[in-house]
Parts: sequence; C-alpha cells; structure tokens
Amino acid sequence: MKNLFLFSTFLLFTFFLKAQDADAILAKVVAKINAVNDYSVDANIKADIPLIKILPVNATIYFKQKDKFKVVSKGIAILPKQGFTDMNAFLAKKSSYMVVESGTKTIGDIKTTQLTVIPTGENSEFVLAKLWIDTKRSLILKSQITTRSSGTVVVDYSFADQAEFGLPSQLIFTVDVKKFKLPKSVAADLHDTDNKKKKDAKDEKSGTIVIKLTNYKVNKGINDSVFKEKN
Amino acid sequence: MEKETVIKVEHLAKSFGSFQAVKDVSFTVSRGDVFGFLGPNGAGKSTTIRCLLSLIKPNAGKIELFGKSYTNNRSEILSKIGSIIEKPDFYKYLSAQKNLEIFARISGASVSKSQIGEMLEFVGLTGRGGDKIGGFSHGMKQRLGIAQTLLHQPDLIILDEPTTGLDPQGIVEIRNLILRLKNEQNKTILLSSHQLSEIELIANRMVIINKGKSIVEGEVQDLLNAQELVVHLEVDAVEKAKQVISTHFSNAQFVGETSTELEVAIEKNQVPNLNKALIENGVMVFALEPKRKLEDFFMKIVQS
Amino acid sequence: MLLKNTYNEFVKILAKPRSYLGIGALTLLIGVILFAMKADGGSFISFVTASFEQTLSFNGNILNGNLIGFIILQMLIIHIPLLVALVTGDLISGEAAMGTVRMLASKPISRTNIVLSKFIAGAVYTLILTLWLGFLALIVAKWIFGTGDLIVLNSDGLVILQEQDIMWRYGLAFMVAFLSLLTISSLSICLSAFADNSIGPIVSTMAIIILFTIIGSLDVSVFDTIKPYLFTTHMASWRSFFEDPIPMSKIIQSVVILLVHNVILVVIAIVKFNKKDITS
Repeated sequence: MKNLFLFSTFLLFTFFLKAQDADAILAKVVAKINAVNDYSVDANIKADIPLIKILPVNATIYFKQKDKFKVVSKGIAILPKQGFTDMNAFLAKKSSYMVVESGTKTIGDIKTTQLTVIPTGENSEFVLAKLWIDTKRSLILKSQITTRSSGTVVVDYSFADQAEFGLPSQLIFTVDVKKFKLPKSVAADLHDTDNKKKKDAKDEKSGTIVIKLTNYKVNKGINDSVFKEKN
Repeated sequence: MEKETVIKVEHLAKSFGSFQAVKDVSFTVSRGDVFGFLGPNGAGKSTTIRCLLSLIKPNAGKIELFGKSYTNNRSEILSKIGSIIEKPDFYKYLSAQKNLEIFARISGASVSKSQIGEMLEFVGLTGRGGDKIGGFSHGMKQRLGIAQTLLHQPDLIILDEPTTGLDPQGIVEIRNLILRLKNEQNKTILLSSHQLSEIELIANRMVIINKGKSIVEGEVQDLLNAQELVVHLEVDAVEKAKQVISTHFSNAQFVGETSTELEVAIEKNQVPNLNKALIENGVMVFALEPKRKLEDFFMKIVQS
Repeated sequence: MLLKNTYNEFVKILAKPRSYLGIGALTLLIGVILFAMKADGGSFISFVTASFEQTLSFNGNILNGNLIGFIILQMLIIHIPLLVALVTGDLISGEAAMGTVRMLASKPISRTNIVLSKFIAGAVYTLILTLWLGFLALIVAKWIFGTGDLIVLNSDGLVILQEQDIMWRYGLAFMVAFLSLLTISSLSICLSAFADNSIGPIVSTMAIIILFTIIGSLDVSVFDTIKPYLFTTHMASWRSFFEDPIPMSKIIQSVVILLVHNVILVVIAIVKFNKKDITS
C-alpha cells in the first residue's frame, strides 16, 4: 500500500514536471513569435487541390501584431483558411489552452518534442492542436490543427535565414478536402455531351498548398492603412 | 415590215394544287404595241403576268421574251422589263428616294441619284423624295410605282392595273404617259386594266382571257369593227323609232330604252342608214353616238 | 449584283426599328446584370466557392471585369438568339408580308443572289450584335469592376486563369460564339424562306432552340445518337476556351458541326426560294 502511494505520487510529480516543461517549451516558441512586431514577405503560392486548377501565384504578405494580416496579389491566390497566423494569435493567449508534452518525433534529422495543445474554452474555434517543436531553436517544424469549421490542417515548416524570428522560408499546408463539392448550377456546362458527372472529392482526401517565402522585411514598420479593405 | 416579237406565250398552264388558275393562254406582243390584257376577276391575268416575270413557274407551255426563254437568260430578260404587279409595294420605313435607289441598284442599269430626282419630278412627286412611304397615299404610291418601272429605261413595260386608285386627272396623266412612251420611245407596253375605256383609247392590240383560257386576240379596232355596234339614240318618239328600226334592220337588237333614249345593237356599216331611216320616217334624232364599244364587246365575249 | 443587293440589305436593316430594338435590349439586359453584380456580386461568387470556403480562402479581385464578362456571356446564351432571330427571321418573309418580294424577284438578280445577300447582311448584323456584346461584357465591365484573374466553374472543377492568359481566350471564344449566333441567323433566314409573315420564323426559331436544348439536356439513351449533331449542343462550345487544358479537338468538332449546319441551312433556303411561286 505504501509502495503504491509512493509510486502514484512519483507519477503525478513526473506528469506535473512534464507539463511545466511543455509550458516552458511553448513559451519560448511564443516569445520568439512575439518578438516580431511586423513583417512583409514575398510569397509564391502553389496550390494542388482536387477540383481546383490554378497556376502558382506571387503575392506579398503583410503582418502586424497582434492580428493584422493581409495578402496582396495581382491575381487570385488560394490560401488555407486556418493554420496561418491565426494559430500564432491563439497560442499567444496562454489562458485559453493547456499544453501537454506527448512524445517525440524525428523530422528530417531533427528530434522534435510533440506538444498537444487543448483549448480550454467551450466555444473555441480550435478543437485540438499538435505541435512538433525543435526545442533547440524553439521552432515549430510541424503542426496539426483541427478546427470546427475547417477540419484538420497539417503544416510542415522549413526555416532559413529568418529562423531567429521564427519566420519560415516555406510552408506546406495539407488540407482536408472531403467536403469539397461542385454546385449544380447555371455555371455548369449545359451542353456536356460526355455525360461527365460532376465530381466531388470523394476519392481524394487532401490537397496541398506550398508557400515559399522570400525577401522578409522584419520590424521595419508597416502602416495600418495597408491592412484596410479597398472599397 | 414584220415587227419584232417581244412577248410570245404559247399554251401557258399553271395550277396551284388542284386549282387550275391558267389552262391554256396564248398571245403575242410585238415591239411598239400597247397590248391590252383583259379578263374578268379570276380569269388568270395576274398569274399569267407573274409567269411572264418569272415570279411563278408554269406547269406547261412556253414563254419567250425578246426571243429568249428564261432558262439561262433570266437576268438579261428582266433587265429589259419594268413592271408593276397589282398595287406597288415599297419599304414603308424608307423614303421614296431610298426605295428607288434600292430598286435602281438591282435593275441592271446605272441610275444616278439625280436621275431618280428627275423621275420623281416626272411622276409628279417633286419634293417628296425624302418622305417615308408610310405616309404616302395610294395614288402617290402608284406614281412611285411607275417611277420605279421606268427608272432603268426598260424596253418592255408591264402594267397591272396602273390607274387603280387614281383620280380622273391621274388617270389622264397615266394614259398620256403611256402614249408618250409608245409614240416617242417606241416602248412596248402590256397593260392589264379594268378601265376598258382607257384600253380602248390607247391599246392597239389586245387579248381577252376567261377562266384561264385565251378567248380572243387581235387588233382592237378590227375586233370591235367586225362586231356589232351599240348605238345610243336620243329621239322625240321612242316607240316610233323602234318600229322604224325593226322594219328596216331585221338584225338590230334593242339593248335599252327610256322615254327619250334608245340603245340598239346594229352592224357598224348600217349606222349611216339608221340615221337616214329614222329621219325619213319622221323621227327627230337629237343625238346618235356609239356607246361603250369595248365594254359591250368584253361582256359579250366573257358571257358567251 | 450580289454586292449591290447586299448593300441594299444593309440599308434596309439599318432603317428598320427592330434592328435597334435588339441592340437596345442587349444593352439594357447587360446593364441590369452589371448593376446586379455591382450591388451583390459577392453572393454570386460565394455560391460557386461555398464548399471550398470552409477550408480555403480566395484572395484577390475575384469579382472583376473578366468574370463579369464570362457571367454575361453565360447568362445570355438563350436571350441573344432571340434578338438575332428578331431581325434575321424577317429578312425574307418580311418582304413577302410587305409585298416587296415580288418587286425584288422581278428584277434581274437571281433568287440565289437575293438569298445570299440576305444571309450576308444577316451575318453582319449578327457580328455587330456580338461585337457590341463583347464591348459591353468586357470593356465596360472592366471599366466598372477592374481586371484580374478569371475563376470559372466547369463540369470538372474550378479553373483559375491568370489575367495575362485571358484575352486571347475571349477572342477565340467570341469567334465561336459568333459562329453559334450565325447558325441561329441562318436557321431563322431559312425558316423565313418558307413563310409569308415575320412572326412565324422568329417563333419557330426559338421553339427549335428550346426543343433541341431540352433534348440535349435530357439524360435519355434514345437521344444519345442525335445529341452530338444538334447545333444547340455546340452553342456553348465557346466555354471550352476557359478550360485547362483547352479541349481543342472538341472545339474543332463543334466548329465543324456548326459550319455544316450553316451550309445546309443556306442551301435549303436557296433551293426553297428558287422553287417558290411568288404569289404575295
């Protein structure tokens, strides 16, 4: 009985220590992210999504703390709805989640610590987030975010010369496409004699968006007018 | 000298479904003729004229114009013809000038705008060239139709009821115009009309058709002279005049009478004797004149 | 003589009030569409992108002149044929109704040339209508909505075409659209050769378009043999220029079928008009 009590106490203490470790790890990551007041970056966006054909598009992305975000492109660019800067904004509010260390994983040749982030609010858009963190550099190398509206998005991060700011050089988003369907409508080909049925994405489960980010301008100051919607 | 044959129709026939509009029509028109083309309503006149103008294809028979058939010669033939078929119709949304320009362009001759202006003047439509046809009276359209017919100086003119709807002055003008075209320009004219008095005055040759067939064809005066004359008499004693005529002219027929007037059909060569007989028998003759020769001739032919 | 009478036909078409009715109606229709898109075009786009927008966001000027032009072309595929037939269906039968056909046919111009000149004039009117449509749908729309990439919903998905890749597609699309409308023009003129009034050919043309469109859209095997040969099946082939990759063989097939229709309709009209007894 005494041994059982000691063992249980040891387990709880270990768990508590791990939670403290997870908080600390994530805090370092968040601190790095928060060190960036603003940035602009040139992006090349390549989307490979079932039911969508689009050529790579060049855009400029602007960000300013806390949550100002704007994509400016000459043409139409497709971006994931979730998993971009919204995740950083979520992580910045420490009180809205709890984080637990849940293992390790080697990504490339880097051993990462897996953290599970569980939102504490009942109405949170985020349902669950898993982060694979390079603890040496306090960088997220991979994330898996599940939201109520968008399903699950997996993001693979690559870093280059802006790693000190936690700003990636490449992001690969893998999005859930099971819900994609084409509307039956006036826009469809009335005279389609091939009897092509309108495909939905039943057979395909995911699509990817690859964003290459270059020419960062960090903490140079960005006017709020940049983020205003044009009428 | 034998005159050139401009129109030659031989045993023309045309049916529309089971209805035979033209059964057997034949006639010849020579150059310089004013040719009367007569027949009651439904006789087949319009159908025959439309065949002449290649608007309708006959089922049988032969048509030659200027010595040629329509096969392979259609444009050449039609370039020498000007025509009005029934009432002239124009583009209501265009002016008179524009209408004439449209028809002039495809008439086969070069017609300038000034010539069109002169033609409008010629038919009494001076200053009306810019007016839309929609505002034209029937008489004005008729005049414009004649202008359209003459614009390209055709050799053969086919007129179907050209005086319909015209006032007396207009009728006289058309008559004089036709005579001028014949006498001054040696035009050949085929004239279909219900104004028999007009035909009698201006036509030198004619054909009468009835129920799709030609009945009689020839020189107008020969046809009329060979027949009886209807003489209109104004006398003091109608009954007495009748007795005298019955006694002296056994073939005479009384056509009509009033208390002072009498009409009698009699052979033309006996007309001088008629007057003499009446006077010698004490009948006072106040007037003696031939009445509606062609009309009577026409009615007789058609009814026989 | 063909050229002279073709010029005559232009004069007549330009003088008829109904010619301007067609252009006016087109202008009004497109004006209404432009106004509606300006007022609430976003809802229209959302309808197309709705199922994608749960996961993706579309950035950029989506509601631009190129898209509006496409929507206008798409919406007017039934309406413009009526505006064409309104004028071309009257070209031969209108002359019969007015009585001028007998004046025309007794002139030294062959009946074949009369019909050909009407086809040519009808084709030019159709071209004018198509060019006006293009001007309003693209130039005016771009002036109002700006320019940008074109997002198109095809039967196999969304295609987003880059701005610099669009105008040549529109150029070719309008050519094929013109050929489609020319077929309508030819059909109505052909029917006009059989009638002596204006309304008959116009109504018959629309009835044939509607009937063939319905046959083409019914998923019934008994019609499968004839569907590929109906001209209505190919009237929307202009859309194929906005696919990626462009199905050129399919488009060429459509062009050939439409051209064959035009030739056949012209020949039928010529034969009919040549044989016709002109009694009006």
